[in-house]
Amino acid sequence: MKTAKRLLAGLAALLLSQGPAFAADPKIELNLWTHEDPARSVLEKKLIQEFQASNPNVTVNYVTYPSGKIKDIVVTAFAANEGPDIFNLEIQDEYPLIANGRVAPVDLKAVGAANLGALTSQYSPGILAPVTEGGKLYGLPLEVTNWAIFLNKKIFRDAGLNPEKDSPKTWEDVVTLSEKLVVRDGDIIKRRGFDFRYPYYLTQLVPMVEQMGGALTSPDGRKAIVNDEAWIKFLTFMRDFGPYGKNLGSPTYTPARNAFNGGKDIAMAESGLYQEARILAANPEFYNSGDWMVVPYPQFKSAKKKVTGNFYGHFYMVNAQKPTASQAAAWKLVAFLLSHSEDYLREVKIVQPLKKLLDSKTFKEMPYSDVFRKDLEASHSVYYAENSPKVNDLLKVAVETVMLAKVDPKQALETLKRNLQAALDDQQ
Amino acid sequence: MAKPTFEQKLGRVGWLFVAPGLAFFALFSIYPILNALATSFFAKKLLSLKPPRFLGFDNYARVLTSPEFWNSVGATLIFAAGSFVPLVVLSLGFSAFISTRTRGRRALQLVLYSPAVLSSVVAALIWMLMFDPRGLANQFVNFLAQTPGTDRHWLSDAGMVQLATIIVYVWKYIGYFTILFITGIGKIPVSSYEAATIDGAGKWVQFWRITLPLLRPTTILVSIMAMLQCLKTFSTQYLFTQGGAPSDSINVITLGIYNTAMRDLNIGLASTMSILLFAFMMALTVIQMKTTKSGDTDE
Repeated sequence: MKTAKRLLAGLAALLLSQGPAFAADPKIELNLWTHEDPARSVLEKKLIQEFQASNPNVTVNYVTYPSGKIKDIVVTAFAANEGPDIFNLEIQDEYPLIANGRVAPVDLKAVGAANLGALTSQYSPGILAPVTEGGKLYGLPLEVTNWAIFLNKKIFRDAGLNPEKDSPKTWEDVVTLSEKLVVRDGDIIKRRGFDFRYPYYLTQLVPMVEQMGGALTSPDGRKAIVNDEAWIKFLTFMRDFGPYGKNLGSPTYTPARNAFNGGKDIAMAESGLYQEARILAANPEFYNSGDWMVVPYPQFKSAKKKVTGNFYGHFYMVNAQKPTASQAAAWKLVAFLLSHSEDYLREVKIVQPLKKLLDSKTFKEMPYSDVFRKDLEASHSVYYAENSPKVNDLLKVAVETVMLAKVDPKQALETLKRNLQAALDDQQ
Repeated sequence: MAKPTFEQKLGRVGWLFVAPGLAFFALFSIYPILNALATSFFAKKLLSLKPPRFLGFDNYARVLTSPEFWNSVGATLIFAAGSFVPLVVLSLGFSAFISTRTRGRRALQLVLYSPAVLSSVVAALIWMLMFDPRGLANQFVNFLAQTPGTDRHWLSDAGMVQLATIIVYVWKYIGYFTILFITGIGKIPVSSYEAATIDGAGKWVQFWRITLPLLRPTTILVSIMAMLQCLKTFSTQYLFTQGGAPSDSINVITLGIYNTAMRDLNIGLASTMSILLFAFMMALTVIQMKTTKSGDTDE
């Protein structure tokens, strides 16, 4: 009996000594999936180590996937109810997860915000609109990007042009300059003046239509294609730019922004501020030569309104199917990572559009950051909906049929309108 | 109760050996097929947490009346026909040629087979570089045709991009089917050729009168495998369209299934398309087997 009492007392003492720790600090394992970006991985792994040191009950598994594959991997994982705790994708691909209730609203307590207004007011206006639904916020921006025109000054000078004076202001300028800068061997382009970023039709091409008064859908999102005339003008412009028109570029050449890094094969390309890091990594000599500059997103001469390049974002989101404690820890980690926005900007050249970051010395000292900021302030988000990947593909077909298959712009528009309307109806 | 015979005991042991394979096949092939069949009758979205809605045959009606689906069927058939014939004919020709060599056989087999070892993604990426307007394909054709500076639009013209995908596929799989034919030729008794040689038959006659008829089982196997392989093509078309090639002419059924499931997140409709493709492949295989069986009876 005595032995039994002693054993019980010992067990009680052990439980009392361990009990509060079990209750206060349950072990939490977080899986964070993100796209490959070597510079960002280094920074985030370092930050995660710091986070784990101050939160010893949390273990973070940081996993990266190639940019082209991560969307399929995340969607497949969520379909099997095995999604990661934290992830990021482009907003066009993330929105279906919000629409299907797969992601958790931001835990204000975990991110240290007094209320939603206090959190959203830290960001540039409109930036959080794509992740705001029913008065709740479902993501925080890892990076927000808008495109401007990167210009190779040496190629301009070699062609007898003055880059500062002759840089394009309008899309018509882009064509005229391209005709002067292009170098061909017969039909084959050896050096392009400018080329588009073809897979990103929603981001890149819709603003061009909007400049001429057109729109992808009616304001309520129910009617496809607003202002046929604007669309036909735009599709005609693309046809004239392509291989069967003035032969200035085509979707089948090396992507323009990659070619730009080389410093020889293209004079102008569209990209975001992050491109500066890519140029530095790929071709430090070109980066340090000062032979490049950035000018704002061009407008059509006949533009009815100024529309700059759409912004798109990668937002960190948290899986709503995880236990509440994991969700809270996940938001705490996200907030910790994003509290280092200047490090992200300095080391990875990505912008988390916090007002304090945009006003910081670090941002202002980034080459041409003012160009991106001014354009960003005038821009709106890329089209996002449950069907946005399909809509992007429908635009791809319309543009490519006029550029590559000699289809009449009116006919291409009719097909686009019919298929887009079907996609919108399907979503209702 | 009669005591089991030795053959019956042996048969039971045989089941033990076959069981893991059967279990694997049931788990990774039969179950997904049945699951896809069940899913094809529902309105099911990949990310939706709501229970799927039963639709009966609505998905089938929708797919079978969709112009996009029939465009995919057309693209698949063009690709299959364009790849199947060269694959079978050329691999048969190469195998006959290699089998008659006394030197360099292994080296030739290695050269032909090596593309089959590459992943489809790598193969497609290599060829995309070659089909780039400034790539080797234009240079080679322009050198032969003496037309410098002409862009053949390998990845931009609807017809050329179909040809480009066929070239990649034939290049990748020709070695695999050649090896199968070489194995088949190896099983033909040497005495048949010796007898024919004594009778004065030349190499050409021997090929038509001995090799080809005795290679019939291998030819059936290769033709069924090649046809199924062609109908399942995906990676080349996927990567080409990602790389900027127009999608309509190479929008094969598998690409349509992928886009419906992963882009449109409509797993119900994608399952329907998968079941239709499966039924078509099954029907084609049965027809091929029946045709060859009736050919055997005629002889």
